[in-house]
Amino acid sequence: MSKPVVEIQNLLKQFPVGGDFFTALKEIDLTLEKGEFTGLVGPSGSGKTTLLNIIGGLDAPTEGTVNVLNSNLGTASHNERAEIRKTKMGFIFQSYNLLPVYTVFENVELPLILNKVDKEERKRLVEKAVESVGLSDKIESRPNMLSGGECQRTAIARAIVHQPVLVLADEPTANLDAENSHHIMKILVQLNQELETSFIFATHDEKIMGYLRRIIHLDDGRIVKDEHISNPENLS
Amino acid sequence: MLFKLAIKNLIGAGLRTWLNVFVTALSFFMIIFISGMYDGMRKHARQVTIDTEVAGGSYWHPEFDPLDPFTFEDSHGQPPATIQNAIQKQQAVPVLVSQASIYPHGRIMPVVMKGIEPSQEIVNLPTNTLLEKTDGLIPVLIGSGMADYTKLKLGDTFMIRWLDVHQSYDADEGIVVHIMETENFKVDMGTIWIPIRKAQTMLSMENEATYVTVAKNVPLLNGTHNWIHRDIAYLMRDMEALIEADEPGAQIMYLILLALAGMGIFNSQILSIFRRRKEIGTLMAVGMTRSRVVGLFTMEGGMNAFLALIMTIVLGGPFLIYFAIYGIPMPIDYTEMGLIMAKRLMPVYSIALLVSTTLFIAFVVLILSYLPSRRIAKMKPTDAIRGKIT
Repeated sequence: MSKPVVEIQNLLKQFPVGGDFFTALKEIDLTLEKGEFTGLVGPSGSGKTTLLNIIGGLDAPTEGTVNVLNSNLGTASHNERAEIRKTKMGFIFQSYNLLPVYTVFENVELPLILNKVDKEERKRLVEKAVESVGLSDKIESRPNMLSGGECQRTAIARAIVHQPVLVLADEPTANLDAENSHHIMKILVQLNQELETSFIFATHDEKIMGYLRRIIHLDDGRIVKDEHISNPENLS
Repeated sequence: MLFKLAIKNLIGAGLRTWLNVFVTALSFFMIIFISGMYDGMRKHARQVTIDTEVAGGSYWHPEFDPLDPFTFEDSHGQPPATIQNAIQKQQAVPVLVSQASIYPHGRIMPVVMKGIEPSQEIVNLPTNTLLEKTDGLIPVLIGSGMADYTKLKLGDTFMIRWLDVHQSYDADEGIVVHIMETENFKVDMGTIWIPIRKAQTMLSMENEATYVTVAKNVPLLNGTHNWIHRDIAYLMRDMEALIEADEPGAQIMYLILLALAGMGIFNSQILSIFRRRKEIGTLMAVGMTRSRVVGLFTMEGGMNAFLALIMTIVLGGPFLIYFAIYGIPMPIDYTEMGLIMAKRLMPVYSIALLVSTTLFIAFVVLILSYLPSRRIAKMKPTDAIRGKIT
């Protein structure tokens, strides 16, 4: 059996607020295996995004052990965490975070440039990723010429183009209508099945939950329920 | 990789980039233009002084001090043989200096009377006009500044009074045979030029001179006895001091322009970082290290300067070339203010000026691009992704 993708033990995350500390996460123990399609679910302020950021190495834990893709993020330097993100992770954000001056092709190409993939291979991989999200006809468009759904599909293509082991998605459907949300989720499920990429969502969107095979409920910075779903309702 | 991304970002930003580049190019142009003007002024002042006054240097009578008119009475004598020899070979021109008074339109006015060989070609003064027939009147050459000041016109006659070697005052009538246009106020204001033979006769100083100016490229003469050799550097020291005194002014102007260009770049970098914080967060999220993001933004600033340089060459180059060829007409005659300045100023853009300006500005731009970019290194990626500045 392969090593877990994410292994968290006794995680504590506090933020300084004035002269005091605000505890965003506490007593978090969590293990995620390869290929899981997991959601971190909970109300606003429950710590979903904070946990996602810590798993993504964008934020550091205050206490506890966070092992992601065989690296201890608690002790890793900024550069080491950046290297893990660059090579093994993909990010999808609520507000897409596309670079406005780049075309769809260039946005999707960015992780490959950072990974120093040669030009021919980049072109092939970008076209493949863009095709997988159904945006081949918009490949030369800039984000301001795209709809919200198309922007998010571009962001997905960017997140998966370098075939990461883990994709972290923070409220990926929050800015989308129902039809686009389902369309996006179907793409992600398909990528998960085809590439065996692990997905972790931070969401409180009911529409997403019907696709998840594992739902981790957070409340007030703690895991209150860890639910495994053998037959997600939107996939049946 | 950073280079490619920086190019993409600059081109992708479209109008914003070109506005930044234009402002920087404008500053580039102004710095080069004004520095060229200053260099042109200096070069012109040097050239005019050498051309009309200094030539290849001088040999002075040991008593001569041009800044002390009381020395003129005693500072005359026959030049030593080696200098005489150079005069005969027309490699040198003697000048006899004395104090005199003139009475244009009945007013008394002290002047420096200089006797010079009319046929000389060593200093660029129209002394050959002193050869004109004057029916016994003393032919006098004056500059246009002197003419304005004394209200003398071509052909006007006026009384000249002088003290000869025997301490006797004498006077005679002079006639203006030529009014020269010169930018060197030192050969113009307060000076009248007459033929040296006439001066020697008037002053009873046959074959004597106060100083002898040698032609350019004449080697140092030996056996000049107590006559003091004054080289170009010595004779130009007042001019150099004037230029040196003007240096801080030029540097302040240079710094103001540089500060303008710098502020533009600094502002655009700050604005860029503020506007693009989400992009910075995204770049960090996809795996770019902070130092590389700082490098990217610094490179964008540097490329901004590079594009500005190209724009300066393309848009400003023709103007700079035009001014270098045809000059810039000056609105007033600065010689009246005691400045050696051309009526049409020719800027000089030396290779040293262009290279040093370019390198210096490029260095300043890089520093100014880097300083605001350092702020990125302090950003928390989680805040940057959300568009927050920390």
